Amino acid sequence: MSEQIVTGVIPAEKIEINKIELAQRLKTKVDFNLDEIDSCKEELLKVINYKYAFKKVAVDLSNQDYVNLEFCEVKSKNLYNNLQGCSSAIIIAVTAGIGVDRLLGRLNLLSQSKHFITDALSSAAVESFCDYVNQIINEQYKTKPRFSPGYGDLPLEIQPSILKLLSADKTLGITLNKSLLMTPVKSITAIIGVL
Amino acid sequence: MDIKKAIKQKRLYFDGGAGTLLQAMGLKGGERAENWNINSPEKIIKMHKDYLLAGADIITTNTFGANCEKFENYEEIIISGINCAKEAVKEFENKYIAFDLGPSGRLLKPLGDFEFEDAVEFFAKNIRVAKKCGVDLVLIETMSDAYETKAAVLAAKENCDLPIFVTNVFDEQSKMMTGASPLAMVAMLESLGVDAIGINCSLGPDKMIPTIKEYLKYASVPMIVNPNAGLPEVKDGKTIFNINADEFSDYMREIAKKGACILGGCCGTTPEYIKKTVEKTRNIEYKYPKNKNLTVVSSYTHGVLIGEKPQLIGERINPTGKKKLKEALRNNDLNYILNEGISQAETGVAILDVNVGLPEIDEVKMMKYAVFALQSVTDVPLQIDTSDPKALEVALRIYNGKPLVNSVNGKVESMEAVFPLVKKYGGTVIALTLDENGIPDNADDRVKIAEKIINEAKKYGIDKKDIVVDPLAMTVSSDTTNALITLESIRRIRKLGVYTSLGVSNISFGLPNRPAINSTFFALAMENGLNLAIMNPFSKEMNDAYYAFCAVKNLDSNCEQFIKYSTENIQETKPLSNQKEMNLRRAIVKGVKESAVSQAQILLESEKPLDIINNHIIPALNEIGDDFEKQKAFLPQLLLSAEAASAAFDLLKTKMNTADNDTSRTVVLATVKGDIHDIGKNIVKVLLESYGFKVFDLGRDVPPEEIVKCAVENNCKLVGLSALMTTTVPSMEETIKLLNKTDKSIKVIVGGAVLTEDYAKMINADFYGADAMESVRIAEQFYGK
Repeated sequence: MSEQIVTGVIPAEKIEINKIELAQRLKTKVDFNLDEIDSCKEELLKVINYKYAFKKVAVDLSNQDYVNLEFCEVKSKNLYNNLQGCSSAIIIAVTAGIGVDRLLGRLNLLSQSKHFITDALSSAAVESFCDYVNQIINEQYKTKPRFSPGYGDLPLEIQPSILKLLSADKTLGITLNKSLLMTPVKSITAIIGVL
Repeated sequence: MDIKKAIKQKRLYFDGGAGTLLQAMGLKGGERAENWNINSPEKIIKMHKDYLLAGADIITTNTFGANCEKFENYEEIIISGINCAKEAVKEFENKYIAFDLGPSGRLLKPLGDFEFEDAVEFFAKNIRVAKKCGVDLVLIETMSDAYETKAAVLAAKENCDLPIFVTNVFDEQSKMMTGASPLAMVAMLESLGVDAIGINCSLGPDKMIPTIKEYLKYASVPMIVNPNAGLPEVKDGKTIFNINADEFSDYMREIAKKGACILGGCCGTTPEYIKKTVEKTRNIEYKYPKNKNLTVVSSYTHGVLIGEKPQLIGERINPTGKKKLKEALRNNDLNYILNEGISQAETGVAILDVNVGLPEIDEVKMMKYAVFALQSVTDVPLQIDTSDPKALEVALRIYNGKPLVNSVNGKVESMEAVFPLVKKYGGTVIALTLDENGIPDNADDRVKIAEKIINEAKKYGIDKKDIVVDPLAMTVSSDTTNALITLESIRRIRKLGVYTSLGVSNISFGLPNRPAINSTFFALAMENGLNLAIMNPFSKEMNDAYYAFCAVKNLDSNCEQFIKYSTENIQETKPLSNQKEMNLRRAIVKGVKESAVSQAQILLESEKPLDIINNHIIPALNEIGDDFEKQKAFLPQLLLSAEAASAAFDLLKTKMNTADNDTSRTVVLATVKGDIHDIGKNIVKVLLESYGFKVFDLGRDVPPEEIVKCAVENNCKLVGLSALMTTTVPSMEETIKLLNKTDKSIKVIVGGAVLTEDYAKMINADFYGADAMESVRIAEQFYGK
């Protein structure tokens, strides 16, 4: 029984950038202020294009340390433990859009301070956006904390099947490079266990 | 009948989607449909026949993803797929087989990691197989990136003579995934000589209408529309699409009435959709599109229409008379060029001229780098400015969009070199009114040369709309009738039905107060019909003339642009006055670049450059560095201060004697091979430079040999290596080994998120920089300060 892919677009100004996430990436205290951060944020919001896609799949944990996710099977102790008690999971992908890559590319040549700040802002932004979508999901389901490829022992090799499942190339414009890293760079994929 | 002839006479129909049909015949989710060409050809043949019976004129081979990355036996799959199509059309007459070519699934550089030339070869492999089998046309479809589309079209052009059809994917905002607008695609694809263009997939016909309107407004070639059957929905475990065949064909009738020439379907459509579309559109009068006669250039996001309202071309990327740019070119310093490009783009110019010709540099190589790099940082269309046909070819090939070409002239040699390149790669070309006899001293002969060039271009298949004539501005200081000749030429050349361009500032060569002459002449030239001005976008006088002209000539509604331009320019001087109180040390600690430079300038009146560095800049950097180490200041502030100090440094360096200019403090920096993260390394670089070190930045993913070579060649004894991923630490170790082997006196600092002091020792690094500030302290100690 296959579920529908749910997709959506959220305006940039609707997502509040998580201050703790931002402070971690800027390597500052929380609530640290600087004019330069505000002006970088203004430029960033102009190019952000938040999109998400998710789909519910069945989870089969009958094989110890192996997670069967309907569309693929993966060996991962951490994910196996994370999904205990779940018979289904939401597979999610979100992105802040290709405009961010272009902006970062330009700033990398123009100003390292602006580049550093904007990189931190956009990482925190896509993380905050992912939280927002996670919240949409939580309104419908009781969930476990989300788990992303590359975290713990969940290999990046699962990325191609996740993106294929969500038709992420078409729905979100996400592609993978040879090292299985995503473009747009500020994109997140995750598996969210449903209790 | 050749399909190119057929489409001149009547509306043609493509087939519809394959997925829905093949799934009904038993294709499982995850199974690759292309394998059926070999395993179940009878089913593929049946699908084709069903579409032909439904009224499709063109069937597409089942080869969408049959490429060398997905299939080892891609050749066999393509051959079998084409054979299926051939078998299917046997019983029909006047049907066409389109060889189907889908996207690679990879993103091209600079956004992704797929090289442009590798992409061309990727598609060429398939085209070569298809050509051998014999098909009627190539259909490049479902492309969501302009650059990849160009690679596929070039592959087709270089490997067969078949007609080329292209369809791209747009979203509801009429943008492609990487940002291209309909005009940008129409401009590029028509210029590349594609025979029919359009859109497919992603949306239903209802949501495609805004994009279709844009295409029809601009395109002079037939438009293809192959929509999905609406959006997918899942019902009872099956994917179905939300627009049925009746609704679909109703929309297609409206689309046919608007002027689309080739209709078909994509995901979710079936023979029933095509049958009903054919029935409802068959009797609508068919019109082949008119030549829209648009003169347009484009980038990978947008097109620039050249017309009655004059447009500006930034001229600053041209080494003639520019010492700094010459030096940058000799040092392969692309950053200087990119900054020049970005700052001109920010003034709002429509096009940027790119000229990197210097006798002592490899222009072909530099042009290729410069065009690619500029397109990575700005989406303003480029004007490729070179007299070397080889440099022109590499630039045209790698350019993402339809460029302006500067230039061709009336000499046979020039036309023979330039026109074939423009025909192959696309472009609008500037034609200079000079020939073997030089520049005529009268308008009659300049107009004659323009006519000659236009006629000659036609022989190569280049339309008049793709020629912009530059009647040449000669200085009035040598002959005061020069301006009048040029103005008359502009007026008369416009009557030939082409647009004009001019390098405006040549008019004042050899005179004092050049801006006065330039701006007056510029206004007159616009009044006489000048469409494109190559000029300095930072010149106040020229901008004043431009915005004022547009305002008084009713080319600027409500004078909006003039007001915006005028108020912004006045504001610019304001913030500085607030910061006057700030001295150099404060300016650096606070990270205010403009104040740091202006304060350094003031100090230069009373102090020596070296004293300013030692008494103001270094103490400021130490202050912010100490604050950082005590966590009273944070990394963003440290970086801002470093940039402010570097800006002041750059100014001081120009005033220093060579004796004072200490060039011995050098550091080679690189992110090691396999690692593509460079933020950490860049931060270290900025800080080192602010302390006056000369940094050789080798970038990221740098092989050990290259790092050693740079250190040896520059006699640099300190190397900084960065790695962010655990997987690349071995490559750091390898680099250190090679450095030690080559020259024991070279010392190595390592840093990066995954490293620790212990780890650094283990791989035999000499120093471990825990953060950027510490790396600077280490470098200071190393050079004994």
